[in-house]
Amino acid sequence: MRALVIDDSRTMRRIVAQGLRGLGFEPVEAEHGQHALDLLAEGGPVPALACIDWNMPVMDGLTFVTRVRANPQWRDMTLMMVTTESEHSQIVRALAAGAHEYLIKPFSVDAIREKLELLGLMPVGESA
Amino acid sequence: MTISQDTFAFVADLVRRRSAILLEPGKEYLVESRLLPLARETGATGVDQFVAQLRANPTPARTAVVVEALTTNETSWFRDVAPFDALRRHIVPELRAAGGLARLRVWSAACSTGQEAYSIAMTLQEVLTPPVAVEITATDLNEQVLERGRSGTYTQLEVNRGLPAPTLVRHFRRAGSGWQVSDELRRWVTFRQHNLLDVPPPGGPFDVVFLRNVLIYFDLPTKRAVLERVRGALRPGGYLVLGAAETTIGVHDDYERVVLDRATVYRAGGARAAAAAPAPAVAAVPAPVRAPLGAAGTRPAPLAAVPPRPVLPTPARPAGPVFAPTSTRGAGLR
Amino acid sequence: MTTLIAGDDVYAIAEELFTAMVDDEPGAVSQWFGDTPAWQVPVVAWVDLHGGWAGRASVTTERATADDLARALLQMGADEPVLEEDLHDAFGEVANVVGGNVKALLPTQGTLGLPQVADHDPGLPGSVLVTEVVLDWRGRPLVLRVRGAA
Repeated sequence: MRALVIDDSRTMRRIVAQGLRGLGFEPVEAEHGQHALDLLAEGGPVPALACIDWNMPVMDGLTFVTRVRANPQWRDMTLMMVTTESEHSQIVRALAAGAHEYLIKPFSVDAIREKLELLGLMPVGESA
Repeated sequence: MTISQDTFAFVADLVRRRSAILLEPGKEYLVESRLLPLARETGATGVDQFVAQLRANPTPARTAVVVEALTTNETSWFRDVAPFDALRRHIVPELRAAGGLARLRVWSAACSTGQEAYSIAMTLQEVLTPPVAVEITATDLNEQVLERGRSGTYTQLEVNRGLPAPTLVRHFRRAGSGWQVSDELRRWVTFRQHNLLDVPPPGGPFDVVFLRNVLIYFDLPTKRAVLERVRGALRPGGYLVLGAAETTIGVHDDYERVVLDRATVYRAGGARAAAAAPAPAVAAVPAPVRAPLGAAGTRPAPLAAVPPRPVLPTPARPAGPVFAPTSTRGAGLR
Repeated sequence: MTTLIAGDDVYAIAEELFTAMVDDEPGAVSQWFGDTPAWQVPVVAWVDLHGGWAGRASVTTERATADDLARALLQMGADEPVLEEDLHDAFGEVANVVGGNVKALLPTQGTLGLPQVADHDPGLPGSVLVTEVVLDWRGRPLVLRVRGAA
């Protein structure tokens, strides 16, 4: 399964992408929301998952979520915010915009797996 | 530092046999990182030596500690969703169908810092409406973890673990660098210190008892003694929820295994209510069990070094079903 | 004002960051005891907080410590050279994670700037030091500061 990893920090992209690779995903990295939209526009199979930072240059993660939700072609893509934005109100905002899950930085790789289990993207208990 | 292939193969095989979880090659780091703290605790020079000691003397308690370290995480909310789905979709509707659901009593045994108890509360709040009273009794041996449970305060890392974001924003508010469970849910849960081999805590008889990933620590007589105590705390027909690698089968026969979608639960029989079977001549005495993971923040030992003492004799029961199916069986079940 | 952002909370944020993402085990950091040594070759990363409460969250440490932190985050070998851009990116992300969580401690909703990295702390005119926490990571100090309007 393909997974978009959208974050302006290469460090964070590497951490998320390596975590996803270990869970059997094929990560594709994007530096900001517009970059990710461009990758999606290139066509090919729609990624099953996008892990999305909030604060990024060019296009932030919340805008990306809104844009993806506006396009029925991408409705099967699961959207998970992965961000340091951690106010109660910000999580509510992201969920209202159409994000399915929300992982707060800092996080451990185990936490990514558990969120994906909740989202039905992992066979439960497959890897310890 | 890496572990030997021999160590990895042994641990992977042990975990697969005990939990059906596969540790594939490439997971050596996981075995090492999870077992290193245990190795240090025992004074071993490293994971290889620690595992060699285990192989030389594989007591049930030591083996269980290793399996536990590799299969569970201390701070799970809904990560294992099946028991909570069973509660929501089957157990509550069944109780409702049986008539007069005015009050639901649940015991979260060996509750650690309370994530399970609050997960039960969150689940029940979705499916029950007032005036149904929900009373959740959460017990542990360790007063420190109970105090944390009472505060209902969890770190950011803890709420990241297996708690769906919509559930987080619905039931928690920010509290400093962490999060706190709502006052309403905290009022539903009563935390009490309790030893699983003692008389059950007040708050029963219970409709449902959660006792997950606890029995794996114990030898057979202790398992039986704990299940006997729990059986006494459940109302007839009430449900026991165990960890995925645990069962009552072959340990205590006054429970009936019931599969509810992806969850396997155990329904308390009516044998006790009918006629108490005669006690066997020899009482089972539990072996002292060492604290599996004593460090703060991890699941505490449900039974820390219980001194040998007489416990309730386990009643001998006839083989096979001990009570006849009734017409209510399966009510609310698919 | 100084109770707005408690040192304990900033410490807890940093501790969680190191536990979850840097060393993958509890006890990765502790409070630094004693004087903070004078920096030889310092590096500082910060993010600005905008909104009802404006301020800055920064992390300062020795360049060699920041290199090791970048190696840990980027899962590099102990002897692998750390490129300037990798150091900026990784150390900047540390400031970003700390800053975002500090922002969540505030009573009003604000926004977070993008991380900046420099070899000296440029200061924030018109601000006061709200909280300072010194961490001990592998025996070496890191200073976390939150500054804000007086």
